[in-house]
Amino acid sequence: MFNSFAHDLSLYGRLILMQIRAQAQYKLNLTLDIFCSFTVTVLEFIAMLLFFIAFPNVLGWNIGEVALLTSIISLCFGLAEMAGAGVENFAETISHGEFDRVLLRPVNVVIQVIGSDFRLRRMGRILQGLLGFGVALYLLPGLQWTIGKFLALALGIASGMLIFIAILFLGATICFWTIEATELINSLYYGARTMLGYPMTIYNRGLQGLFLFVVPVAFGSYLPTCYILGKTLPFDLPQGVVFASPFAACAFALIAGLIWSFGVRHYQSSGS
Amino acid sequence: MTAMIEVDSLNKTFRIAKRRAGMLGGLRSVVNPEIRTVQAVDDLSLHVDQGEMIGLVGPNGAGKSTTMKMLAGILVPTSGTIRVAGLVPTLQRRQLAAHIGAVFGQRTQLWWDLPLIDSLHLLRHLYRVSQERHRHNLQRLSQLLDLDEFLDTPVRQLSLGQRMRGDLAAALLHDPKLLYLDEPTIGLDVVAKARIREFLLALNAEQGTTVLLTTHDMDDIETLCPRMIIIDHGRKLYDGTVSSIREQFGSERTLMVVLNDAEHAELTYDAKGLPHLHDLPTGVHVVKAEGPRLWLSFKESALLSYELVAWLGARYRLRDVAFQEPEIEDTIRRIYEEGLLLSER
Repeated sequence: MFNSFAHDLSLYGRLILMQIRAQAQYKLNLTLDIFCSFTVTVLEFIAMLLFFIAFPNVLGWNIGEVALLTSIISLCFGLAEMAGAGVENFAETISHGEFDRVLLRPVNVVIQVIGSDFRLRRMGRILQGLLGFGVALYLLPGLQWTIGKFLALALGIASGMLIFIAILFLGATICFWTIEATELINSLYYGARTMLGYPMTIYNRGLQGLFLFVVPVAFGSYLPTCYILGKTLPFDLPQGVVFASPFAACAFALIAGLIWSFGVRHYQSSGS
Repeated sequence: MTAMIEVDSLNKTFRIAKRRAGMLGGLRSVVNPEIRTVQAVDDLSLHVDQGEMIGLVGPNGAGKSTTMKMLAGILVPTSGTIRVAGLVPTLQRRQLAAHIGAVFGQRTQLWWDLPLIDSLHLLRHLYRVSQERHRHNLQRLSQLLDLDEFLDTPVRQLSLGQRMRGDLAAALLHDPKLLYLDEPTIGLDVVAKARIREFLLALNAEQGTTVLLTTHDMDDIETLCPRMIIIDHGRKLYDGTVSSIREQFGSERTLMVVLNDAEHAELTYDAKGLPHLHDLPTGVHVVKAEGPRLWLSFKESALLSYELVAWLGARYRLRDVAFQEPEIEDTIRRIYEEGLLLSER
């Protein structure tokens, strides 16, 4: 059991390495792509900051705090976008018949699908997230860092990334039935990213509950941000909940995984 | 001989939701789909011994790849039993995958932008082949397939023939007991085709690998496969040797003649657009006409080919003649149309 997990992990590493080496063949293209996506995401970030010239304080959040929040969601989403590109592309994998090849190999299907792409050019958003994080720290000079806050941040980013990838898997599952409805999950994928770029206090309790207990993206960005900034958590959750983010992420990923394997079984009986 | 593939009364029915036209129709298709069932594989039984080399032929959509997918455990049968290499494919798919190698002529499993050798190394980990065995196999395969000259070339720069050799090596590094080839010579030139065939014969003779190949190229079947299976509409129409099928069904040959222009102008045509050729020998028919080109079908038993050419040459001024061997697709069509089910179980 452990052995096979270790094997899967090292195999994933090798698959990713192949992708990285393949993309490194086109260095100029890669550099330009990273630069462009960096520029676009930085402009979005700046546009959001400009908003705070008119409204220096939105529902108790100031400019530095919001910069921290959006940077963390950029990191979660950027990492997911980079590592989950193979899942995002799944409609193509299906329509080109590549999924049959996946099933023809004696290796875990999920590992092969995630390992089928690793898009370095999405580094742009991650760089923007890091830059934004730096800006936020500059705007929040009084912020005290503790080991607990670092831990909450790291766990949050990893969990957020996992949740976004799990959303992509839900979208990929739809492809077993039809490849014409991929937009359905995109609205959740991009919607969650955009909405969580703002403090959740601006949304009603229903939406807050959705992003906490149904699609728990808030565990990745919003809760750790509140914890770091010493703000109260939504629904008066105790502060310690931020350290439960990996559980929330794993539970969501597990459910997505079950739905996905139901999809694989459907594919194996319908073959389309 | 031990059995490699045992298939008994295999069936596969697909349920296909019919799409209605228009926007409202599209919506209705989702809410209340009109389901149509298609019998892709119909009561198929098959027994293949270890070390056999079998050609699977049939028109597109005949059920060949559906059958292959079920043999590999990718697709679950509607009914019937399958055992491949002693395993039940749908229950032991991953275990079975370690014993199967597959090459799809139209698609490659190699990493497009990287040197061939990188893909061949990665496959060691995908199939968990020991380093020792991998090194040995890689050496043997690169020698047999002459890979050395392009091992370090990115796959995207390989010629189709080289890529196919690379794909064959990739499919064989883990010593599969069963090799499945889907149109392995498609698009290749004569030399490249010959080379692939030679390799497959050697592989089969030396390693005893069971080979199952689908193709539209009759030469593949004739050089490689003592046994061939014809499938159409999901049913097995024929299971036997290639020579006997030629004798029984491929006996009609076609001669194409190109008439001199003046000769062509003098012809009179019937209602179907076919010209009248007077006193044609018995057993010869004009089947098609296109400008100065005529296609005549004839039975070798009634008239030898050179006699027909001589007969035509004596009466018409000809610019060119060419014989066309019956295409396997035509043979299959005839078998199907004439309802000649040969398969006995």
